[in-house]
Amino acid sequence: MKKTKSAKALLSEYFIFVIFIALVIILTFLKPSFIQPSNLVNILKQASINGILSFGMMFVIIAGGFDMSVGSTVAFSGIVAALLGQGQFPLIVPLVVAMLAGLAVGVVNGVGVAVGDLPPFIMTLGTMTAVRGLALLTSDGKPVTGISDAYKAVAASSFFGIPMLAVFLVIVILICSFVLAKTVYGRRVYACGGNLQAARVSGINTTMIRISTFAIAGLLAGLSGFLMTSRVTIGQPTAAESYEMDAITACVVGGVSMSGGVGKPWGVVVGCLLITVITNGLDILGVSSHWQKIVKGLIIVLAVLIDVKGKRKKN
Amino acid sequence: MEYILEMKDISKTFPGVKALDHVQLQVRPGEVHALMGENGAGKSTLMKILMGIYTKDEGGEILFDGKPYHASSPKEAMDTGVAMIHQELNPILDMTVYENIFVGREIRKNGLVDKKAEIEEAQRLIEECGLHVSPRETLRNLTVAQCQLIEIIKAISINARVIVMDEPTAAITDREVELLFGHIRRLTEKGVAIIYISHRMDEIFSICDRVSVYRDGQYIGSGDTKDLDEAQLIKMMVGREITDVFPKLEAEIGEVIFEAKDIVRADNKVKGVSLSVRRGEILGIGGLVGAGRSELVEGIFGMHALSGGEIYVKGNKVNVRSPHDIIKEGVALITEDRKGTGLNLSGTVNDNIAMVAIDKLLTYGLYNKSKARSASQEYIKKLNIKTPSGDQIVGNLSGGNQQKVVIAKWLLNEPDIIILDEPTRGIDVGAKRDIYLLLGQLVQQGKAVIMISSEIPELMGVCDRIMVMCEGNLSGEVTRDEFSQERIMTLASAIEV
Repeated sequence: MKKTKSAKALLSEYFIFVIFIALVIILTFLKPSFIQPSNLVNILKQASINGILSFGMMFVIIAGGFDMSVGSTVAFSGIVAALLGQGQFPLIVPLVVAMLAGLAVGVVNGVGVAVGDLPPFIMTLGTMTAVRGLALLTSDGKPVTGISDAYKAVAASSFFGIPMLAVFLVIVILICSFVLAKTVYGRRVYACGGNLQAARVSGINTTMIRISTFAIAGLLAGLSGFLMTSRVTIGQPTAAESYEMDAITACVVGGVSMSGGVGKPWGVVVGCLLITVITNGLDILGVSSHWQKIVKGLIIVLAVLIDVKGKRKKN
Repeated sequence: MEYILEMKDISKTFPGVKALDHVQLQVRPGEVHALMGENGAGKSTLMKILMGIYTKDEGGEILFDGKPYHASSPKEAMDTGVAMIHQELNPILDMTVYENIFVGREIRKNGLVDKKAEIEEAQRLIEECGLHVSPRETLRNLTVAQCQLIEIIKAISINARVIVMDEPTAAITDREVELLFGHIRRLTEKGVAIIYISHRMDEIFSICDRVSVYRDGQYIGSGDTKDLDEAQLIKMMVGREITDVFPKLEAEIGEVIFEAKDIVRADNKVKGVSLSVRRGEILGIGGLVGAGRSELVEGIFGMHALSGGEIYVKGNKVNVRSPHDIIKEGVALITEDRKGTGLNLSGTVNDNIAMVAIDKLLTYGLYNKSKARSASQEYIKKLNIKTPSGDQIVGNLSGGNQQKVVIAKWLLNEPDIIILDEPTRGIDVGAKRDIYLLLGQLVQQGKAVIMISSEIPELMGVCDRIMVMCEGNLSGEVTRDEFSQERIMTLASAIEV
């Protein structure tokens, strides 16, 4: 029984967390306004939608897949929510329909990958393009305006000082973490990504597990679309471009292995916050958005490099 | 009820290949039943049908406990009472021991995973098996042998009435084999039937009660092992007589051509081992799995960092920083892991053979396909590689032929020193013999061969000298006139005598 880990092992496991704390300290030092409550609330708001998407992405990647289509799904379900959220129905209707729209895209992805045996990259590249087209088609290529005040209030309101968007994120985090860590289903998601063949001959219905992970990613993309429309107060068919990349980034930076089978929910939370803090911090420091992209790119590569090196040493 | 499992008149056709042609199998409760046959004989296909991984062709029937049996997935097979330890199944490396044991049939409490109960149960099973690992350890940190034992524990713990074991001992040491056999005996006493697939004759005779033999997708016959001997079994499997299992060709032994002194690996898996080999000599390296044999040759070959040691090829000191440095001095290493480090499985035979010595296949600096094709043809013929053509995908060949492709790709580079790590693992009798003869021909040409093997009879059959390793050290060396199984075993387990 070796339960006590060396300081080195601990550092490598929680490396990303250390980086995050260090970054917060440095930013506070450079610009004290960074740590102001109003800015922190801002960060939470900015992190929310990407956070929800990242958690869906996490299921897919842990199960050994990959989903390029979530950005388009956000836009499409956002349009659907905007069309239904003009005040003609109770708010629950656009919420549920947007999530069902996302779910449908996810199931199509999952069936293509798990039953059709298509590489996830190809399958979701296809839906990414097609669903974007669907978003343009339903909105006639124009932004959908005129959503009800009640709907606008969803993203604008707060709950004991915490923005409503962040409340949604926290609920998603809690449910997803519980499912992954405690349920039989969660265990099997890891098993599928760890070794699909082994999972299959162990009697796991790998087809259903894989479809379901894509379905979860779709469902959460639908939720994000609903929230997105509330936040920007219009349904934009061109919204959420390349959001899938941000979600993948949060997962990878948070220690989810692209080869499947590895990843912890708290890592994704930190990964997502880290990215938002970098963007936010560089914004406050007045760094141009061009530079921000370069910094973000470097961070992705560095985070994974350190992760890979750390693993190699252990073996 | 005489039989627990009866498979009658089973056929399976793959596109273009008849893998099974009206074969049968009868297994009694409480017996260990060996399935034997060369690779491609259809044993694995038959077992995959039993497990619901493949669907059999129309016709034929399977009876389990007298009742018609049909499994369309491994889960159904396990629910009925049939479990299998797969030969090439890799465990889920990033999961813990207890998670691996219970994957697919997690212990539940209130609908959630009962982690505590799983850990306790896993601990009990591990202790019963004589293994010393924590249930919380990640499989990535275990040795191959330990992983294999976890697979065995998993199959045993399902409480199946028929357990299929496909080469369960391929990666475990003799001591662990004894533990496994103990388990098998305890299971059979309870009436569990074991279907045992192995290429190791000694195991068949020591643990199995009956044997069924298959060849080229056809059922050849069954019998009690006590009424059969090795020669009869081989004849049934191969279809012809093989009198000389370990042919040894005479070769003239010359000067020392390769020397490694005090090799120490940076990760300390090899702690100061020296070896030398002469022209015309076959040097064997024996020892248990994990003794550091593969680690030694991989270190010499530049695949892992060394923290000490010197390497001399033909009297010249070679500074090895990467495999390239030593390949160009005329050394070849045929690694243990054919699929992982030996072959490009989705490439053709031609592509694979051209991989190492590509410099020889260039015309004005460009890859010359027809040169590659003719070179590949030459070796397909020389090594008796059974393939429809050089354009066949290597992944579709049998294990023995894949191994020959690996050897061919190195021979094309015309090395003088050839190191082979477990060259005959998992390949059939006929192909093994071809490889022994090939090694003999190589040393007759004045080359030197170093061969790692876990099968002592094989080492004693083909080597001129055997060095034995134990726990990263050299524990002794035996010359051909002193060869004895006991002597080598003693050195391998480093028991003082």
